Amino acid sequence: MAPTAESGNGWYVYGVVPAEAASRELFAAARGVHASGAVTLVADGDLAAIASGVPLTEFGEAAIEENLRDEAWLEEKVRAHETVLEAALAGTPLVPFRFGTIFRSDDHVRKMLRENPHLTDVLERLRGTVELGVKAYLDVDEFERRHGDEAEAGEGGRAYLLRKQRDRRLADARASFVNACAEESHARLSSAAEDARANPLHRPEVTGGAGEMLLNGAYLVRVDAEAGFKDALSALESRFAPDGVRYELTGPWPPYNFVEVER
Amino acid sequence: MSEARLPAQHEVTLLELVDRVLNKGVVLTGDVTLSVAGVDLVYVGLRVLIASVASLEEERA
Repeated sequence: MAPTAESGNGWYVYGVVPAEAASRELFAAARGVHASGAVTLVADGDLAAIASGVPLTEFGEAAIEENLRDEAWLEEKVRAHETVLEAALAGTPLVPFRFGTIFRSDDHVRKMLRENPHLTDVLERLRGTVELGVKAYLDVDEFERRHGDEAEAGEGGRAYLLRKQRDRRLADARASFVNACAEESHARLSSAAEDARANPLHRPEVTGGAGEMLLNGAYLVRVDAEAGFKDALSALESRFAPDGVRYELTGPWPPYNFVEVER
Repeated sequence: MSEARLPAQHEVTLLELVDRVLNKGVVLTGDVTLSVAGVDLVYVGLRVLIASVASLEEERA
């Protein structure tokens, strides 16, 4: 990485929308990732980029990677990116871009739109849908209360061995329950959705007190099928809550999980 | 089931945002584009941060 300090302004692109549906009034209330640049649309042909001006002293290649290490900066900018896209989500299909895609001029933004005509097909595929997130957690204590038999009381070798055996049985039962519940949950939710992704689980040190994560799913749901999706989720909840499973629904999100990623 | 737009713990929410905003979405080559290494660094930083917050909360509980 060349540590040359950059100057001047760039165009930060949040995502792409159909030019015909988009109006800059959608973003009137949304603040962009930098106070100096209002959120606007840069159109070329059928497509328009949601963009705002940013100083390259803060968003240049070297600067942005440095700034990402500052948690306060990261949080503010990531939230701003999301807020701008949510403002668009209400009024139009949209292809969200990953954070930190920046062009040196509006001509470069237009060139990007011309070079990516397939985005029109992606927008068509996404029309009328939203992304919903579902995470499921297992409360391990509750699971063990429900599935464990009474602990062998008393001291001595025999009681100790019985306790060890019981702990091993419980651990096995929990592992197979977690697998079965995750599979069943993802299958039921997927069948109520157009498309689905099962993302990597967060490790226990990250989920903290929430419990053991067993599902980290993203679902592309038709707006007119959202009620059916929530019914499927309620049914899962009724079925698995007694075992200690808790579901968390988030969204609607811009369809981050349903646009191809070239990583 | 929580219907809330944002989960209560703000750190987990930030992770959820980062999971989407930084880790997903279309990646097109701009004049400036984050490197994969840059994104991975954010994860390393966040995991350390969240892990320490979680253990602090457990100590308090």
